[in-house]
Amino acid sequence: MIISSAKPFEEILLSLDRYDDIFVIGCNVCAAKLHLGGEPEVLDMCECLRNAGKNVVGWILPTAACSVQSWESLVEKNPAIEDARAILVMGCGSGTSVVASVVDVPVYSSNDTTSLGGLSNDVVLHDQCAMCGKCIIADFGGVCPTTQCAKGLLNGPCGGSMNGRCEVDRETDCAWELIYKRLKIIGRLDLLDELHEPKEH
Amino acid sequence: MAGNRTILSMYLKPKPAILPVMQLTFGEKLNSNKFIVTAEITPPKGVDTSAAISDAQILKGKVDALNVTDNQRAVMRMSPLALGKLLLDEGHEVIMQMTCRDRNRLAIQSDILGASALGIQNICFMSGDHTTNGDHPGAKPVYDLDSIQLISMIQKMKTGFDFSGNELEGAPELVVGAVSNTDPSQPMQMMKLEKKVRMGAQFIQTQAVYDIGQFEKFAEFTNHFDVPIIAGVIPLRSANAARFMNQNIPGVNVEEELITRMDNADDPVLEGLIICAETISMLKKTCRGVHLMPIGQHLNTPKLLEMAGLSVR
Repeated sequence: MIISSAKPFEEILLSLDRYDDIFVIGCNVCAAKLHLGGEPEVLDMCECLRNAGKNVVGWILPTAACSVQSWESLVEKNPAIEDARAILVMGCGSGTSVVASVVDVPVYSSNDTTSLGGLSNDVVLHDQCAMCGKCIIADFGGVCPTTQCAKGLLNGPCGGSMNGRCEVDRETDCAWELIYKRLKIIGRLDLLDELHEPKEH
Repeated sequence: MAGNRTILSMYLKPKPAILPVMQLTFGEKLNSNKFIVTAEITPPKGVDTSAAISDAQILKGKVDALNVTDNQRAVMRMSPLALGKLLLDEGHEVIMQMTCRDRNRLAIQSDILGASALGIQNICFMSGDHTTNGDHPGAKPVYDLDSIQLISMIQKMKTGFDFSGNELEGAPELVVGAVSNTDPSQPMQMMKLEKKVRMGAQFIQTQAVYDIGQFEKFAEFTNHFDVPIIAGVIPLRSANAARFMNQNIPGVNVEEELITRMDNADDPVLEGLIICAETISMLKKTCRGVHLMPIGQHLNTPKLLEMAGLSVR
């Protein structure tokens, strides 16, 4: 899932400074799971915007903001969107981008999108995949070094790893420590000998 | 005016850009049985190179080559290529350090070609401290290639082809080194070192060594590699500095006994030099050389080399 975090409301309000008539679009997939764009959050946002003096002309909650079909499909869901001078998308950057591609008014996002991650046992897992387009995660026991190593190193840790923790953040496990542990568990430490070519960007 | 210049030029001796003929190069010394001494020079943060050049001057004739650091600890400084060339002009042999942090494969290759064309004969690759730890924490960290891929790339360049397989007009001739820490109990660090050697690293310079017992185990581990190991040393300046390094510098382990000696010393700087000289004496038996990385300038380095019996090169 796409991991995002909510922008401070003051920042959202400031970005909408020039516009009074606002339409809010939520997202019922990742953002809803993260409690950043599901129905309760959309309703809450509408109320906050009204309290701040905005005219919220309406809202919708598409299945996925990143999969909206067309302007017509949005109008069909709620014709009030035609009165909007700006649209606030409570999804990820991708959802905001797709909405922007089908409308003729300015589009803003209420969230900052940070990574492709997961949500397991109520814990948000950041940076699980870099979407590099050539998955070699099996060679690393299911821990992606492109994503989880701060330097994206493919052939082993840097010298900055200390007591199994990352040079960038001593609270975070070194990805190569995780890779070592995983490969040991699955009995494939032999994979560490492989020489990995640079990624093609 | 033109005539004056011609006359003047008759009296100007060109600075030696090439080492005297009889002297062995660093690369040749690696293949000899000579104990090697290298030392670190840090480029200036600014265009005034006088301090770096006078620091190098202190070491003239006392060390085999000078490592010129590459934005060390991710703190922006003058390019090691530029300072390296200035040090060559002063008659020093240079090992240009190059990190993976700041350049993509195009920039790295063009700097390698430039270094080689300017007369730099040795290069030492490393990942490089992350940008977030330096003085430009918002900079985009590059790491397009890792140090293994970098060594692999330069081997290809040495055969006359660039990364993409295009033919080079003249191949760089460089002695290629890499770095390592020396804790054999860290399997991933040792795996990485093994890969560096597999890719053809011709020398290894290590993180600072204080724990001789650990280093002996490391030397045992590296015995089958057949690559010269040059052990890093940093003279301690105080007990607190030693404690700081233990807590903050990965792979550094200053034993408690040494910290106590530093604590009890009347002149901690001198005690640090004595400890370092003792370490070097022991390292002479287990590795091919030492790499001197004092905190600050090299003012005490000649004294240290004398104490360690290494003053004659």
